[in-house]
Amino acid sequence: MTMTAAGRSAAATSAFSRQRSRFVALVISGLFTVVAAQLVWLAASADRDTGARISMITAEPATNVARPDIVDRHGRLLATDVQVPSLAADPGLVFDADETAEKLAQVLPDLDAKTLRKSLGDRKRFVWVRRALSPRLAQKIHNLGLPGIFLRDEVRRTYPSGRIGGHVLGQVDIDNKGLTGLERWLDAARGIETVHAARLSTKAPLRLSLDVGVSHAVEDELEAAIVRYDAKAAAGIVMDASSGEVVASVSLPGVDPMLGVEVRDPDRIDRVNGGVYELGSVLKLMTIAMALEQGKSPESLVDTTAPLRLGRYEIADLHPLGRPMSVSEVFIHSSNVGAGLLALEAGADRQRGFLQRLGLLDAIDTELGTSPRPLVPDHFGRTEQVTIAYGHGLAVTPLQLVAATAGLINGGRAVRPTFVARDDAAPAGGPKLVGADTSRRLRDLMRLNVTDGAGTGRRADVPGYDVGGKTGTAEIAAKGGYRKKSVISSFLGAFPMSAPRYVTLVMLFEPRGVAATDGEVTAGRNAAPTTARIVARIAPLLGVAAAVPGG
Amino acid sequence: MRTLNIVAAFLALSSAFLLYGLNYDTRLAESRLQERERLAERARSDIAVLRAERAHLARPERIEPMARAQGLEPMTANNLLPGLTAGEAAITTSSTGQ
Repeated sequence: MTMTAAGRSAAATSAFSRQRSRFVALVISGLFTVVAAQLVWLAASADRDTGARISMITAEPATNVARPDIVDRHGRLLATDVQVPSLAADPGLVFDADETAEKLAQVLPDLDAKTLRKSLGDRKRFVWVRRALSPRLAQKIHNLGLPGIFLRDEVRRTYPSGRIGGHVLGQVDIDNKGLTGLERWLDAARGIETVHAARLSTKAPLRLSLDVGVSHAVEDELEAAIVRYDAKAAAGIVMDASSGEVVASVSLPGVDPMLGVEVRDPDRIDRVNGGVYELGSVLKLMTIAMALEQGKSPESLVDTTAPLRLGRYEIADLHPLGRPMSVSEVFIHSSNVGAGLLALEAGADRQRGFLQRLGLLDAIDTELGTSPRPLVPDHFGRTEQVTIAYGHGLAVTPLQLVAATAGLINGGRAVRPTFVARDDAAPAGGPKLVGADTSRRLRDLMRLNVTDGAGTGRRADVPGYDVGGKTGTAEIAAKGGYRKKSVISSFLGAFPMSAPRYVTLVMLFEPRGVAATDGEVTAGRNAAPTTARIVARIAPLLGVAAAVPGG
Repeated sequence: MRTLNIVAAFLALSSAFLLYGLNYDTRLAESRLQERERLAERARSDIAVLRAERAHLARPERIEPMARAQGLEPMTANNLLPGLTAGEAAITTSSTGQ
């Protein structure tokens, strides 16, 4: 009985254990099947994964700076980053340095094979072979299939608008860091964003005060003027009279920020903000402003009958009237004697103080950095007073002269020149320079100089746009005195004169007497008509309404 | 007791499978995301190049000769109708200016 019970129980146990082992075998084989399937799947999808892994390995040392775009005041692109392939090598993976260098030199003929061979033998894990390749070259090199040589994307600055704003924009170095101009300011103001891969910046673009259309029009007309008047160089500024925003800053010959050769060429320096010049009679505007501020009226008389004696020198007018002149006549006939007498009457301290207040005696700070220091005589003696009154003996940057003029005629509020668009349209409330009355009188005088038949600026008139301004023809200082016939002729203008919105300055460097000017080199014959052409083109672009004839 | 053991073993096994699967799905999703990001990055880069090209093609020194060839020229006071108020003139002018 017990046997039977035990035998039955053993049979049951063995049946159960068989079942159990079958179950375990099933589970284990199931697991193996899953693992095998997984392996097959991994093998099939391997290429994608390894691709990602390789890109992870090569995305190493070099760092780049992602820069925000720079756009003009209407959002037109001036500078942007694009991704370009660059060629690098990992010497540790290079099989045969000689062969690799030879093959690369075939695709890149200007590559120095000797240096490359040496750097490929280095112990380093990363060397640049060539930065910024064209896509076509990159493809060719890729097709060579050289081990240890790889392409990686970098961000590289480009300036699609060419030379427009070239002097203002400045330059970046090979790692995309700002070196000069606004690019340098951008690094300081916005902070640089170092990226370890070719990523583009996500920051908002920097909006400048420059206007691409206006800049082009100014540049185009100045280029034509260089040809027409046989000048060596030219410069032009258009500034918003109330905010100090520079709408156009052109210096010819211009520079393309992409071409280092042009940027380093001393003939291509920025003549707007990169150098100081004696600008001659345009500075009489400041002398007259000082006299008016001192209580003179445009009708007050100045005795200009005799030449002005200063020690050994004698200052005389080009076309003396032979009678006393009123202050407004001193301005429109551009009388050196009259301006000198007005300065002497004001006194040295007042003259120096006034010029100081206008910001003409100190270097100015803009986004482009600190400008060169104006050349100011140490001592304001009688001679200095007189010569500065008509614009000699004091050399300033054209930009600061335009800013001072804007402050004088916009109602008397100083402006700070800027190349970056101001956020608010409200006029900047700078310190008071002159009274509203003086400002109005100066505007009237500038306009009169263009409308009066005897005015030096009569060729600057543009029907409907109410242009006003002052001419200046300055002999260029050279060793041992001034060079006759070698002049900077300039026209400092503004429009519309009743309520000035823009101040302009046109400078022509060493123009020659040509048939069109009857052989003359004075500003009234070249800089003034150039201003007229410029204003006629830019006023519609700037949205300044023309006074309708007969309207 | 035995039933409990079997159920527990089953649960342990199935949750292991589940976790394994989830892990894989996550990796797959991650790699897909990376790919999308790479695509987006490439698109962004292409856009940057195209914008630069557009700005290059639209630069005034290229447009101007074409416009002049069409007989267009800068507006002058003569193009405005007599009797236009200053405000109307300003509107006309600024719409051409932009």
